[in-house]
Amino acid sequence: MKTATQIVFVTGKGGVGKTTAAAALAKHAAEHGRRVLLLETAADGNLAALFGRQPCGHDIERLQPGLDAVRVAPRQLVEDYFRSVLRFAFLSNALLASSTFNALTAAAPGISEFLLLDRLLGFAEPGLGRRRRYDLLVVDGPATGHALRLLRTPRYLLSMVPAGPLSGTARRLRELLEDDARTAVMVVSLAEEMSVRETIEICRVVRDDLGIHLARPVVNRVFPKRFSRADVAAIESRGSAASAPLVAAAEFAIARRREAERHVAHLRRALGESPVLFRQLFVSELQAADLGPLGRTIGRSLLDAAEAKR
Amino acid sequence: MTSHLLAEKRLIISVGPGGVGKTTTSAALALAAALAGRRVAVITVDPARRLKDALGLADLSVDPHPVRVGGVHFDALALDAKRTFDDLVRRLAPSPAAAERIFANRIYNELSNELAGSAEYMAMEKLHELVHTGNYDLVVVDTPPSANARDLLAAPNRLTNLLASKAVGILQAPSSLLSFTDNALGRATLSALLKALQRWTGLQLLDDLADFVGGFEGMLAGFSKRAEEIDALLRSDATSFVLVTSTEASTVETTISFHRELVAGEFPVAGVIANRVLSFAAPSVCAAGLAEWEEPLRGKLSRNQTELHALALRDGESLERLQSATGLRLLAAVPQTTEAPASLEALARFARHLR
Repeated sequence: MKTATQIVFVTGKGGVGKTTAAAALAKHAAEHGRRVLLLETAADGNLAALFGRQPCGHDIERLQPGLDAVRVAPRQLVEDYFRSVLRFAFLSNALLASSTFNALTAAAPGISEFLLLDRLLGFAEPGLGRRRRYDLLVVDGPATGHALRLLRTPRYLLSMVPAGPLSGTARRLRELLEDDARTAVMVVSLAEEMSVRETIEICRVVRDDLGIHLARPVVNRVFPKRFSRADVAAIESRGSAASAPLVAAAEFAIARRREAERHVAHLRRALGESPVLFRQLFVSELQAADLGPLGRTIGRSLLDAAEAKR
Repeated sequence: MTSHLLAEKRLIISVGPGGVGKTTTSAALALAAALAGRRVAVITVDPARRLKDALGLADLSVDPHPVRVGGVHFDALALDAKRTFDDLVRRLAPSPAAAERIFANRIYNELSNELAGSAEYMAMEKLHELVHTGNYDLVVVDTPPSANARDLLAAPNRLTNLLASKAVGILQAPSSLLSFTDNALGRATLSALLKALQRWTGLQLLDDLADFVGGFEGMLAGFSKRAEEIDALLRSDATSFVLVTSTEASTVETTISFHRELVAGEFPVAGVIANRVLSFAAPSVCAAGLAEWEEPLRGKLSRNQTELHALALRDGESLERLQSATGLRLLAAVPQTTEAPASLEALARFARHLR
């Protein structure tokens, strides 16, 4: 059976662990026989460090068998795109050297977003006679505001540009994004007020306004439950000076756990779906090997669901 | 460590990665300055709902609004990028009709809502406006979460660059481009390009774009002057940038690259405020305490102490890495609390760490 390339956009508020979740998913899928490409959109991303590597460049690199990575920077996308559209180097060089052109592309809305999506389309639908190199594209995406702008771009372009080759591409992009079997958005959150609020907002916009399939959200760094109800009562009633630091630490852990439970419940109620939970790690540096459990949970919820739809 | 900043500066700009508590820190800086006797305003960007409620900004008040706490008060307002942009256009437009023409343009509506750094631009615009009212000794500005400092600081220049570039004339009369080129090959190239661009985008986009930039005709001087004034203000001795960060390793790396960009742009950085810093005693010093407990709770407490102490050590390492990479002073390390800064009392406790 010939299956289509799947795309997963990973997004979330800054610092919540988007890269970790994206890498965990990509690694898991690669280890289960998929050909995976991880696309890093942050200029200073730390994706490669998770695999003990130097930061990735603009050329595709192999991180491990079945798993490639590449960095997609706006300026590079603009250059690549116009070089491929214009075909002749002297034309594209003239254009790219023009300050007018650069002022336009820096200020004009939607250009880098469009080009990123166009790049994904190139991988997903390589065109006649060309082989599909990947089964899964994982986009370690920009933070929520920018991610929404990215996902809205095809609609925006279609409203601005009703006809012509550009609108044809925009239409294909919209179909790709709105195809449940091919595209999903995974939002990563922390179990904190701001983060959960933003997650609920973006999930609703993605699902209800944009009609794009929403993967189960991921809640990262959930504090583990360390103390039973009886423990809590015992801890709260003890007040000796020698135990003060222990009690302070325990109360902190208890409060953090309660807070996490409350926010996870809020998220579940608001979206009608249980998030994937990943607990707080206490190791000092996260390594690729630590990604296993998270990758398994996300992979199970996302890849298998897509498999079942086919 | 922040007391001299709060006493002397006219403008403090909080910059840093998203999700580090920039808004809360900015509000707490404003409060600390108010407690030191200054007349202060804080511009907030997208505050958390409970902080918004606490500051009385629930109905998104875009005009300064007094917040009273601990016997003093400061003014707070929430940034509304769209409205600020509209106000700016209205002020700079040669006539009300010219302003209306811009408001009706589709590209303007996309742009002023969310595109091309308009929130960053408008934060800069608003701070300029408040500093120049003369109503305040100090304006504290929270900045929108940007991927990098460059985007934030370049925002006012981006629109002026577009307007000042030849793009305006070209879009209005594409063939005028040909006169800039004096050789035949160049002319042929450009004319082919223009045809390709027209075909590629469809005519409408170019028309809208021409209409958009045309609408700003006559306002260019106003915009450029404004951008220059903002730039001068950002670099003045009376201004300090304060980096706000949390202790997450990836956040610290982003903060370090923010700092590099600010220094490269020759902006005055006063130091860094670290938020949500954990501090827990080492398990080794808790032996006497542990002896007071019975198993299995003793084991749980011991494990919890070990885990939280490991997190606290990690925070300490992050802060050392930050200071050694930037050479910056740590202005304050605000301890992690389990309460969200949801009330003015919590904000006052936060502010105490900033003196």
